[in-house]
Amino acid sequence: MPRLIWRCVAMNVMLTIEYRGEFVIRMINTLAGPLISLLVWLTVSEQGVHLPYDRDQFITYYLLLSLVSMLTATWLGGYLAATIRQGDLSPWLLRPAPYIVNQIGNNIGEKLIKLVFLCPMVGLVAVFFRASLPTDPRAWLLFALSLPLAASVAFLLDFVIGSLAFWVQDVWGLIRVKELVGGFLAGQWVPLALFPARFRGLLQIQPFRYTLSFPLEVLTGHLTPAALTYGFAWQVGYCVLLWACYRIIWRYGLRAYAATGA
Amino acid sequence: MAIILVEQLAKTYRFYRKEPGLRGSLRGLIHRKMLETKAVNDLSFTVEQGEIVGFLGPNGAGKTTTLKLLCGLLYPSSGRATVLGYTPHRREHAYLRQIALVMGQKNMLWWDIPAMETLLMHKEIYRLSAVDFKRTVDELADILEVAQLLRVQVRKLSLGERMKLELLFALVHRPQILFLDEPTIGLDVVAQQRVRDFLRTLNREHGTTILLTSHYMDDIEALCPRVMVIDHGQLQFDGKLSMLVEGIAPYKLLTAIFADPVEAAVVATTVPGLKVLPTDDPRRLGLHVPRTEVAEVAGRLLRLGNVVDLSITEVPVEDIIRQVFSAPTASKEQM
Repeated sequence: MPRLIWRCVAMNVMLTIEYRGEFVIRMINTLAGPLISLLVWLTVSEQGVHLPYDRDQFITYYLLLSLVSMLTATWLGGYLAATIRQGDLSPWLLRPAPYIVNQIGNNIGEKLIKLVFLCPMVGLVAVFFRASLPTDPRAWLLFALSLPLAASVAFLLDFVIGSLAFWVQDVWGLIRVKELVGGFLAGQWVPLALFPARFRGLLQIQPFRYTLSFPLEVLTGHLTPAALTYGFAWQVGYCVLLWACYRIIWRYGLRAYAATGA
Repeated sequence: MAIILVEQLAKTYRFYRKEPGLRGSLRGLIHRKMLETKAVNDLSFTVEQGEIVGFLGPNGAGKTTTLKLLCGLLYPSSGRATVLGYTPHRREHAYLRQIALVMGQKNMLWWDIPAMETLLMHKEIYRLSAVDFKRTVDELADILEVAQLLRVQVRKLSLGERMKLELLFALVHRPQILFLDEPTIGLDVVAQQRVRDFLRTLNREHGTTILLTSHYMDDIEALCPRVMVIDHGQLQFDGKLSMLVEGIAPYKLLTAIFADPVEAAVVATTVPGLKVLPTDDPRRLGLHVPRTEVAEVAGRLLRLGNVVDLSITEVPVEDIIRQVFSAPTASKEQM
């Protein structure tokens, strides 16, 4: 299986290179959102408003946010739904390999190329803002552990939603809601630490935190050892739960699959 | 030995009926009517190892649904299918390793990269050794004459070239059973012939069992000693193509060309009671002649004199099939 995943990754790297111009533009877009948010919060901070983050922490958060949001991003839900609805799943179902392998390859393959484009851009912005990144190797190690888990939660959540197309004609509405609400609850625009204290309990257990905010919280050193353990447990728990959902949905979904078209 | 066993197989599609227009859409929000279509209904047959079987039937007859059921793409509504000892819809990997499906209207190859890259992915999926993979690809590429195309982006190839690569792609793991759904659709006559030649070679040299659907009668005639006629999801005929032809058309087509125009009255007297085919050429005479009377009728025409050419042929299979598909179901059941 690892050889097959690697092969799918390699094929998707080749595909991404074919459309490299488009991906450069997408990466500018990936960086633009966090950069605008950063400028807004720096302005607010300079007005003397008391915030849980200082200037350096805001810069670290939003700089790394652009990288982490790219590395944990998924885009498969809509494509998967269309693939199921239009019968394009059939070629994969005939092969002795699970379809999810193809999507994993696509996800990793595209990100490898995106990373090549995004890293220099983030580096330039970091130099411009004189960013001082965390230096604690333990924090980076835990960050490196939480990042693939975050990507897995986001990936499986999207996969499960897209798979509903086995029964539901149009899942795009659900995907849009997930993108909007999920982005907000993941800390895409506002760090979760800035939310009112009374929402903290709820924010800590909802799945979107573990797709983006949690790795950043791990790296910026805002979590106590107990909160770290608790956070990793939730991340692993969501991975297991969503994997089980995926298996159950596909088991019954394939019975409803109509293999439309030729 | 039968490697495909199908017993009372059925597949029913369910869908909602939508009334036209805005009013229909709004009404559909409150009350939707469920409709059912029996795409395959009580189908039973067996296929022996090494056979080439052609599925015939009009659009919507259930041919493709049958192939999809046998490949495991669809769950049957009822009945049973066993292929190579496996139940297809369980889609066990051991089963999927032994079959392949080529769909003339669906691409299996990745569009933006050369076919070789997709083939290398297949090598990993089917866990083929590097030696076996190279030998098979080289052999198939040589027969199909596509060796030079393997490293060209798929989207830059012609339809015929792509179809040949699709065949190569489907066969690289040496499947025991090959399901083909309209494999020559859209190809020019030369490409069609090459695909047919290749399939015949594959069957003869490797013993690959082939089940194919096609709208081109040339495919069926050239490849399939056995045909199954399916209509309304039911098996209407199962046997040799020649038996189907003789059952539907118990006559041959006799065509005579005379040096001078022939009078209709003379024809009526010479060959009374035979169906005369319409023609724009007064020197040409076409007749439907019962198979047992062909020699006698030919003799009578020759005795009329001035015959410059005489041919006796089977009625084109295309015409036979058109007749089968357009006939009411009741009459087909008597085939």
